[in-house]
Amino acid sequence: MQLGRAPAQPAGAGSLEAGMNFAAVLAETRGGRTLPPPPEWDGPPADLVERAWRALYEVSDPEFPISLVDLGLICGVAADERSGEVRVDLTFTATACPCTDFIQWDVRERLLREPGIERVQVEVVWDPPWTTARISERGRRILEDAGIALVT
Amino acid sequence: MTGEKYAKASDLPAELRDRLGALVLVLADNKRLLGMRYSDWILGAPALEAGIACSAMAQDEWGHGRILYAMLRDFGEDPGQLEHERSSSEYRNMESLDAPARSWPDLLALNLLLDTALSVQFEAMAESRFEPLHYKVSKLLDEERFHFEHGRGWVARLGGTAAGREAMQRAFVPVWEACLRWFGPPGDAAGLVLCQEAITDRDAAGLRARWLERVGPVLASVGLEFAEADSSGVWRSRVEPDWDGWDPEARRGSEGGPDPDTLARVRGDKNRPLLMD
Repeated sequence: MQLGRAPAQPAGAGSLEAGMNFAAVLAETRGGRTLPPPPEWDGPPADLVERAWRALYEVSDPEFPISLVDLGLICGVAADERSGEVRVDLTFTATACPCTDFIQWDVRERLLREPGIERVQVEVVWDPPWTTARISERGRRILEDAGIALVT
Repeated sequence: MTGEKYAKASDLPAELRDRLGALVLVLADNKRLLGMRYSDWILGAPALEAGIACSAMAQDEWGHGRILYAMLRDFGEDPGQLEHERSSSEYRNMESLDAPARSWPDLLALNLLLDTALSVQFEAMAESRFEPLHYKVSKLLDEERFHFEHGRGWVARLGGTAAGREAMQRAFVPVWEACLRWFGPPGDAAGLVLCQEAITDRDAAGLRARWLERVGPVLASVGLEFAEADSSGVWRSRVEPDWDGWDPEARRGSEGGPDPDTLARVRGDKNRPLLMD
């Protein structure tokens, strides 16, 4: 299996409007309901790895209105086209992150809704260690718009 | 770094696997118990910020403990049994963690001295040939950075008064001695094997020297005379470790383990019916 990269995304896609009610966002984000729309993709995904990356843009962090990909928690995706098995290398912001189970459940549940994905293996990794530097540009805009300051 | 990497415990030669498994359990138990000792001070610390820092430090230690216990599965252990089913004498924690820190200076001794001793051991495994450790150390040490700063800041603060210095002097003596021993005696077999096999990059003496280099200057800066730098700048403890009663397995200088209340809490006895994997 080959580790894939996050597909390049269109600039400026999907930022939240300023002045939003952050409490409402927190209450609503489980399940990605108020997650900003994912980037707009050109055409269908080329392969299972790209399909998985795109789907992961729709999985929200349990605490913040930002996708796991934009938050930088997804460290790698690999897939076996024939068996439909997908492996996700996932890290957390902290070793004692209280949401590790939720996040893994959400990843599994979302990926299994994709056609062609039959099995999902989530591998928790700590290298590279997560820091705020792993948040994408798009993620930074989303958090800023939600009124969350990043300490770097 | 020379030699092949070990991707999993079963790749290790038997003796090395036993030694490393024992070290990981020692580290896991110390992390878990240290987290509990921090949590004892979430309420009642001298400042709200200090209590919040204790909460954050407890969380870090438990996160590290969780990772380390989980790692032992690969060594043939059952992490659930290790975390919830052992008796007091089966724990491998330093004696300073058996009971709650009675005063804030006691807690600072754990924060500055004991927590740093654990971090020095992890630093020595940053380039470990055992990859499951190597890949976790940088995240773990990243989370530890502020623990040292917190300890250092409070030592400086209490060190500003004679009463504070005296209280720290009294509180730090037993933890100092426990930490000094913890790295192991000269020629410690476990340390040598792990070092020769490049699982760690320092033996007992090297680890102790690094620890003295970290904590010695902090204490000396407020006139606490536990260590001093010799003419070549090497920090040396003013007391020698006492090996009487040393238990190489538990890496502690006296028999015993967590007290009954600590044991019940650390195992989660109260919530046993609710335990989830």
